[in-house]
Amino acid sequence: MRKIIEIARREYIDTVKTKTFLISLLFTPILIVGIGFFTSRISQVEGGRPPVRVAVTDLTTQLASQIEAAMGKHNQSNPKRQIIFESLPARDDTNAVEEQGRKQLRSGKADAYIVIDQNIIDGAGRTHVYTYKSKPTMLDATWAVEEFIRNAVVAQRCKVQNVSQKLLDDIRNVSIERVEIGETGNEQHVQSRGQTTVKMMVPFFFMFMIYMGILGIGQQMLSSVIEEKNSRIIEMLLSAVSPFELMAGKILGLGAIGLTIIGLWTAVSYGPILWQGISVDITGKLLFCFVVYYILGFLFFSALLAAIGSVCNTLKETQEFMRPVVLILIFPMIAWFKLVQSPDGVFARVLSLVPPISPLVMPLRISAGSNVSNFEILASIVLLVMAIFLMMWLAGKIFRTGILMYGKRPSLREIYRWLRAS
Amino acid sequence: MDALELNSVCKTFGQVRAVDNLTAKIPAGSIYGFLGPNGAGKTTTLRMIMNIIRPDAGNISVFGNNLTEQAKSHIGYMPEERGLYRKMTVRGILAFFGALKGLTSSELSRVVPSWLKRIELSDRANKKVEDLSRGMHQKLQFAATIINEPDLLILDEPFSGLDPLNLDLIKGIILDMRDKGKTVIFSTHDMHGAETLCDYILLINKGKIILDGKLGDIRSQKASNAVIVEVEGETGFIKTLPIVTNVVQQKDTLEITLGKGTDPQDLLKAIVGKVRVRKFEVKRPSLHEIFVTLVGASNAENY
Repeated sequence: MRKIIEIARREYIDTVKTKTFLISLLFTPILIVGIGFFTSRISQVEGGRPPVRVAVTDLTTQLASQIEAAMGKHNQSNPKRQIIFESLPARDDTNAVEEQGRKQLRSGKADAYIVIDQNIIDGAGRTHVYTYKSKPTMLDATWAVEEFIRNAVVAQRCKVQNVSQKLLDDIRNVSIERVEIGETGNEQHVQSRGQTTVKMMVPFFFMFMIYMGILGIGQQMLSSVIEEKNSRIIEMLLSAVSPFELMAGKILGLGAIGLTIIGLWTAVSYGPILWQGISVDITGKLLFCFVVYYILGFLFFSALLAAIGSVCNTLKETQEFMRPVVLILIFPMIAWFKLVQSPDGVFARVLSLVPPISPLVMPLRISAGSNVSNFEILASIVLLVMAIFLMMWLAGKIFRTGILMYGKRPSLREIYRWLRAS
Repeated sequence: MDALELNSVCKTFGQVRAVDNLTAKIPAGSIYGFLGPNGAGKTTTLRMIMNIIRPDAGNISVFGNNLTEQAKSHIGYMPEERGLYRKMTVRGILAFFGALKGLTSSELSRVVPSWLKRIELSDRANKKVEDLSRGMHQKLQFAATIINEPDLLILDEPFSGLDPLNLDLIKGIILDMRDKGKTVIFSTHDMHGAETLCDYILLINKGKIILDGKLGDIRSQKASNAVIVEVEGETGFIKTLPIVTNVVQQKDTLEITLGKGTDPQDLLKAIVGKVRVRKFEVKRPSLHEIFVTLVGASNAENY
């Protein structure tokens, strides 16, 4: 036992001293603080794009000037994101002018071509917005122009119907405010769009931290095993400890590092979140599950990675084995939104029970507000622990033989034979 | 009890028989040299003793038992490859391996400085392994192997690449260990070094044993009845002496082969007075010569 601790201690101290550790330790908190800081300012980001040219064929002949005026105003307040108006009036032949419009699109002379039906004021017609190979950068312009057209049409309809535009606006103006109340009396924080977004991200954040904690440290496991193999220090180690003690020590040491990193990240991000006034419901249950699932998930994957590292001679060789491992871990990450939306749905419940993925899914479910029964959590943990025992046994066998093999990487069939022997 | 016993140990790698039916007994408290050319199977044998490789056939017992995890604290193994944690300090390495071998922290606080002094690295105690020269690195690894003064020392090529001073240092420590009752096995192809150190030798070639026994016995068995003399004067008459069967001369040094059963003293009597004798040495074959003869012969056999 002491030997395992000794090996864990060395692994911990040596890893902490490396530059990669410091970088990965600092990178994420800086990212989080950055996001927390700029949440309220994201909408003010001034990015420019080349002017978008919009050609308009106004068959009503009544709206074009209004639209042009609106665009002019837009351009004044958004000098870096301009919209350029060009009128393509239809003289006699509607088809001819539409043909011309399309030609302009195809030749690149216009980015969007708009045709406003004649009877749109009556409500029968519509506005057609034509694009050719539209680019994502144009999106804000397209939305803006649609807004201008809508305003122009509404204004015109009001005129025709003899309805005061102002009256209409007042009637339609409904102001809604989202407020999170605090612990005491009248404490409350008005939520902006950005803050609600961050709140929605919290479950993802938990899942992401477990993911990073497992994969990031996992990389360290791989490189540590391979380095010990390559420098042949493994022979000196094995003259003093057993392969199992070695593997266990590494898992313990790296696990401690993972906990250190995650602990720090959580502490760091709690600050900005509180400061922004977002109250996140971190129950004791959530914290407990988070820690337990991280530890269990880490145990499972680090054993697997120790085994993978033991049969490879370079980090490059590990890539082939790592592909399925990363896929397994990424899968719940990709499905996270669906899981957050219905955390008690069948999909989420099943995934939170399936062993290698459960460490990522269950904390997500809980932080998304699902009131998971303790029984379900217990069942999930039991399954996970069983899987861990199995993985440790397999990994131990592979590690024991693999670390002393050099030369060609053993095939999967050979590895299978190791498992069957002894 | 023998410290180590190998019984009909075999190991094959693909087509090559690296170790072929090796049987040997290493008595406790001796210095046993594993000699042999490159690729003879020395390292493979040592690895099998440490259970790093498993033999295909035969068995190995250490202190009367199979190698167990507990036994490991009584054995020190220095592998052929000089691997250590590059970023650790000299002191750190000794403390780490000492702890792995079961030394308590109070023992370590005493033992680590004393070993640092012994391998003359006290002033570099805080240097990182990657900053050490080759010789220092090797001494450090040696010390890490031996730090808990185990009863059985297995050293794979401990002298390779060492300068004469460090060589003597390591040899001194090995002799010290033997005097304390420890058993030392080491592999080498440095014959001169082995000669001065070993009590017993095991000569391996192509996985087979070609010589095994006490060094002294082997050398007297292989005595070739030759005498080396260095003389001043006219030497032509020597080859005409009846007791002389052959003379090989190089400048002033003559290697004189005597007939069977001749006492070298008779040669001395025969030449004194006729020449000035500067050197008269009854030749015992060096390990180097024994090696070359036997290995050459066994290579020839196998072709």
